[in-house]
Amino acid sequence: MKLFSLIENEVIKMIAKKRLMFVLAILIVLISVFAYGQNQTLIRTKAQLSQRLGITATNDWRKLAGQQLIDMKNRLDSPYMDQKSQASTRVRMEQLQYNLDNNINPLEQSAAKFTTKFMEQSIFLFLPLLIIMLAADMVSGESSSGTIKLLLVRNVPRWKILLSKYLTLIILEVMVVIFAFVLSALISGFFFGFGGWLAPVATGFKVLAGKLDSSSVLNVPQWQYSLMVYSLAFFVSFVVGSISLMISILVKSTAASIGIIMSTLVAGNFISYFLSDWKITRYMFMVNLRLTDYLSGSFQPIEGMNMIFSITVLLGWAIAAVVISFVYFTKQDILA
Amino acid sequence: MSNTAVLELTDLWKTIKGKEIVKGVNLTLYPSQIFGFLGPNGAGKTTTIRMIVGLIKPTKGSVTICGHSVAHDFVKALSNVGCIIESPDMYKYLTGMENLLQFAAMDKTISQQRIKDVVEMVGLQHRVNDKVSTYSLGMRQRLGIAQAIMSKPKLLILDEPTNGLDPAGMTEFRNLIRKLAYEEGMTVFVSSHLLLEIQQMCDVVSIIKQGSVIKTINVQDILHDDRIEWQVDDPENAIALLKKHWNIEAVQLKKNTISANLSQNPLDKINELFIREGIALTYCSTKQNTLEDLFLDLTEGDEIV
Amino acid sequence: MIKKSMWYSILTIASVGFIVLAMGFYQAIMVTTAVNPQPPAKAPLTPVPVGSTKLSSKTANSFQLLILGDSIAKGTGDEKGQGFSSYLPESFKNDTSKEILVNNAGIDGLESLGLLEQLQTKRLDKTISDADFILVSIGGNDVKSILSLNDLAKEDQFKLRQDSYLANLKQTLKVLRTANPNAIVIFLGLYNPYEIVSNVENTRLLNTWNYNTQQLVEEDGKGIFIPTHDLLKFNIGRYIAKDGLHPNSAGYQALSNRISKSIETIVTGL
Repeated sequence: MKLFSLIENEVIKMIAKKRLMFVLAILIVLISVFAYGQNQTLIRTKAQLSQRLGITATNDWRKLAGQQLIDMKNRLDSPYMDQKSQASTRVRMEQLQYNLDNNINPLEQSAAKFTTKFMEQSIFLFLPLLIIMLAADMVSGESSSGTIKLLLVRNVPRWKILLSKYLTLIILEVMVVIFAFVLSALISGFFFGFGGWLAPVATGFKVLAGKLDSSSVLNVPQWQYSLMVYSLAFFVSFVVGSISLMISILVKSTAASIGIIMSTLVAGNFISYFLSDWKITRYMFMVNLRLTDYLSGSFQPIEGMNMIFSITVLLGWAIAAVVISFVYFTKQDILA
Repeated sequence: MSNTAVLELTDLWKTIKGKEIVKGVNLTLYPSQIFGFLGPNGAGKTTTIRMIVGLIKPTKGSVTICGHSVAHDFVKALSNVGCIIESPDMYKYLTGMENLLQFAAMDKTISQQRIKDVVEMVGLQHRVNDKVSTYSLGMRQRLGIAQAIMSKPKLLILDEPTNGLDPAGMTEFRNLIRKLAYEEGMTVFVSSHLLLEIQQMCDVVSIIKQGSVIKTINVQDILHDDRIEWQVDDPENAIALLKKHWNIEAVQLKKNTISANLSQNPLDKINELFIREGIALTYCSTKQNTLEDLFLDLTEGDEIV
Repeated sequence: MIKKSMWYSILTIASVGFIVLAMGFYQAIMVTTAVNPQPPAKAPLTPVPVGSTKLSSKTANSFQLLILGDSIAKGTGDEKGQGFSSYLPESFKNDTSKEILVNNAGIDGLESLGLLEQLQTKRLDKTISDADFILVSIGGNDVKSILSLNDLAKEDQFKLRQDSYLANLKQTLKVLRTANPNAIVIFLGLYNPYEIVSNVENTRLLNTWNYNTQQLVEEDGKGIFIPTHDLLKFNIGRYIAKDGLHPNSAGYQALSNRISKSIETIVTGL
């Protein structure tokens, strides 16, 4: 089918432009730097702990964990225990038991932990930046270099050409997310060992009436948790990519597109802090990018925001961006 | 010459930001025709061409290619077109061949062999596997032509095609175009400022000024006629005589100089008459008509609007 | 050419990846929204606080002791597993022949806010209203983390913690009194288990804490503040458990003796 050939064309162009390689290079460098930094922090923390408590607290974790387990069991057994905290206590106990059974010092890092943490930290700014670098150029690059003239004067309708670019973008987004995962796991593995994929991680936090609700908290293995984190990352990439493509079509300059989107993203951080009272803040796409916080229960619930809400808002933005892109692209006069 | 028009422009209008750029252009082209489009800067040539290939939507009017409307039947209409718009901007980070393959992938009728043939036709066989960023302007031009004729289009549109070609290249190009038109039956639409080239290449020429076509002529007809200049002491009388006896329209150029186009009329008899009527004839010369003269005549005194 | 083969590998990886990510996405949504059928909560166990009996109603020949608070209330650290729940009634036996019923609602790690919330659930209301004596041990966890801070931060943090602790305490006493206007509230003061490495500054803070607590307890007409710091100061080795934090068996006994001594007249009078 012709669309397939068109997508092939676009991917080949991307490969030749070396954008993809560039993005991967950035990933490698940054992950290495972060992993190294984490390692240093770990070493320092261990030293500090030993110093402060006068004992080799780091290796005494087993006693502490054992004690904590007993305490928690007693809490659970107590009839005076608050119902709501039962689930989270049970979850914590499972984690402690796992650590004891597998002799894992909770202080230690692992490739699995790092991989997950890395994406949780990157999802709202660093990852979008990588996506923008790929997306912003797709149309505006061809406009400014003039190649768009030859591209459009073919017996292929304009919307098909844009569709091929869009699908190519989605393919690249998948690649970026997968590479981020693989590279994190590999590089951090050299520092922290390649394990940790079966360790239990707490999730299942819900938002009830604007408050964090831990009553149905449960443990999932780290690999599953990581998978969820990275799939949310892909969704964010998809949304950011769609919006970037739209801006690229409207503005026709790669540099300007990148500038516009980056400032919007950065502004998002400020807005969610300063303007958290505004009703309208919730509907801005940049404020809803931290989807992984819902998984880990570490978000500040702003009224009305939960996972479904954020996903719906983001999806709405993506659809609007796609519609605007297609309409504008097919209708505009190419004067340059 | 068949009666199926390859290109039909019907009352084509384009207004951009309130300014009328193209005002009611009408044109019909047939197979095996080489058509030239002439006009000063800002006359609306490029805009018209862009409307033909669908880069710009007309404000009014229609474009039909081989019977298919560009507005309503885009894919079928464009299947018959190959074109170069201004400079052919290729993907600089790909090789010449990769560029051609990209475009070939979008049109299933182009075979690997055809690509090879076309590359040879434009003389790029030794450099086609190098990145386009290393090409000279002339090579890029050739690649542009290759890309345009790959699909064996019925209508070939060339905007300033000989830019950057050396004289030898220009001759080669001219021969190639003639071959494509007469042997393969292509209709070629050329827009250029190089009037001499147009004169040497085209059969029919339209001159466009300020958005309207002011004259369409057969090149043969211009060249066929001679233009004579006389220097006389009584220009008005001379002009009247020319009109009365041979129905020739003469114009007064400078103070005592008149000029006229002579197709078959006997120059000797005219001169004889002048002298007989008592007009002193000091100078008489033949000037080969060129397109340039006609062009400048028609677009005289133009500022770019 | 290379580029074309790269395209095919990219296409394959991306297709597979997309499916995998889609599954993960679905899971992520389910985990954060759907009402999960949870593993059935453990059947509530009949409470068996270590070493005590609980009768459903008070008789004329018995009186009730309710123990509230943190791990010390619970008896953590006692190598024999007895704690106040056993030793205090033991000490009371010297002054009365009545049966002593004990309810222990101590929770490890409880802080003043947690205690208040526990009382506010109202589940303990009946137990509170039936009690004759209410022993409270709370505050240790509130103050624990401050002592290891450096001097600059210590002062500010201390003030902050103390203020909220006192507010919680005030509220707690209110709740207790609402449920039971007559019981005697016995409040345990804080001691410093790290006496060995302590300094004047820490002791000063400890004293301030205890002093303010005592003031509050005294405001309640039927409350009594039992200091523990002096009893344990030089006896860390003898009275503190291996964990270095809680009293051990001997320690709990010593404290129980002190408590019963302070209220012996009241106990006899019941």
